[in-house]
Amino acid sequence: MSKIYVVEDDKSIRTELAELLKNAGYEAECLTDFSDSKRHIIESESDLILLDINLPSVNGETLLKEIRRETDTPVIMVTSRTSETDEVLSMSYGADDYITKPYNPTILLLRISAVLKRSSKENIKTSYRNLQVNTAKGSLSDGTDELVLTKNEMIIFQLLLDRQGQIVSRDDLMTTLWDNEEYINDNALTVNISRLRSKLSDFGCENAIETRKKQGYILI
Amino acid sequence: MNFRKFLADKFIPVVISLCAWLIIWDFLSAFHIKSGQIFIIGIIYFTADIIKTLWEYFRRKTFYTTLVSDTETLDKKYLLSAMTESPDFYEGQIFYEILCETNKSMCDNVAEYRRHSTEFQEYIELWVHEVKLPVASLLLMCHNNPEKSEKYSKQLRRIDECIENVMYYVRSENAEKDYLIKEVSLKRAFNASAVKNREELQQRNVVLKTKNLDITVMTDSKWLEYIMGQIIGNSMKYFSDDREPEINIYSVETDDNVILHMRDNGIGIPTSDLPYIFEKSYTGENGRTHAKSTGMGLYIIKKLCESLGHDVKAESVQNEFTDIIITFGKNNFIKFK
Repeated sequence: MSKIYVVEDDKSIRTELAELLKNAGYEAECLTDFSDSKRHIIESESDLILLDINLPSVNGETLLKEIRRETDTPVIMVTSRTSETDEVLSMSYGADDYITKPYNPTILLLRISAVLKRSSKENIKTSYRNLQVNTAKGSLSDGTDELVLTKNEMIIFQLLLDRQGQIVSRDDLMTTLWDNEEYINDNALTVNISRLRSKLSDFGCENAIETRKKQGYILI
Repeated sequence: MNFRKFLADKFIPVVISLCAWLIIWDFLSAFHIKSGQIFIIGIIYFTADIIKTLWEYFRRKTFYTTLVSDTETLDKKYLLSAMTESPDFYEGQIFYEILCETNKSMCDNVAEYRRHSTEFQEYIELWVHEVKLPVASLLLMCHNNPEKSEKYSKQLRRIDECIENVMYYVRSENAEKDYLIKEVSLKRAFNASAVKNREELQQRNVVLKTKNLDITVMTDSKWLEYIMGQIIGNSMKYFSDDREPEINIYSVETDDNVILHMRDNGIGIPTSDLPYIFEKSYTGENGRTHAKSTGMGLYIIKKLCESLGHDVKAESVQNEFTDIIITFGKNNFIKFK
């Protein structure tokens, strides 16, 4: 379980963020004492830091610069400042991503998971049952045969696989697809899921994806 | 400076001079001075008078002619006093000093208003950051408590949109250059605004078709995302009920430009309204009969595009389509305003 450190001075956002992260299966720790932020952040030994720019007594960008001198823990800047200058500055100081408030929580989680994957602090699952998953090629293989998935199907399968055993909502699937420039609608998602299902079952994985009414899908 | 008008202005001194000459003449005659001698005195008297007048004229002429031509050629006429040198004659000096004084007073006055306006802008920016915090917090709360939260999130997104409008309006009105121009991928910028508007686009079953967006343009990505979001929002307001809503987003590359088209198949804009849609507070027929409109959206887009050096225009056929076209200059062809 990856540990995420939340540096945010607005108490209400902080609490909600921590809850959001916990619900998504991360361990969340919050900074409450801003007098010596840098030390607390470094001592926490987290896998990822969510850092606000407007902090009491210190500017988030300065803090980021100082943190970068000591550790290369991934940092996502989360801020209400929507100017290109802030973003460019943050990225040049070594931030891994930059998200502006108010963010879509699903997108925030997507970004977190993407950054964690990149820094390989999160285990990337490359196999399902007896199948090898080849994301780059967009295919599954059992050693002898290969099952080719379309881009949409691969995105859906990958997300379900990342959260195998958990329910993935249609909203999360949609956000992920749109984030990958696949602007599909509700019906298309249903079609894609059923096609993925039948492809999987033709390939020997019966009942791989289950539907949970009004909640989403789950990869067994 | 016109010599005749100058002379007409000297009417009284000329009359006084003539009267004085008559008295002198009378006086000289009374002393039985010969008329030849009186004639010579007269010539000396009037020659002196003429030289004096001409000298006065040319002294003023240099100063005032420069002043007039400077005023005519100056783009910013209030800079006149800085362009002018103090003349060497007394009344001119008084005039010059007063000119400088009034100009300075006006500058102070303008500076005062500019300061007010900057302070106001800064406060609005601060307020926007401030108000985004509770919105962010509420959105997280909605996500953490999913029952019935969808409709709350929807209203929150509306609030956020209103906040953004205020912020970009302030930014577009102000000369402060708080943008940063760098290479921006059209694909990424569009993706960001599409994801942001996903819920609403999906609810209305809008088909998004993208083509040729794998290209970079020189712009400020945040501003471009906002502009694209606004255009998508506009399209969603004016879709036709008769056909499946669709927005085509594609770019065309020419030698000097990259041209971005955002074309919807909505109700279109009446030809009579088309030339005015980018004007401030212009709502037009659609704004009155269909969705409510403030007439600010396209105006802000136009202002932002102008600041960034992009050209924006609209093409439309009523009941068929609306196409908003943004032209980006390529590298060194960007003209900064």
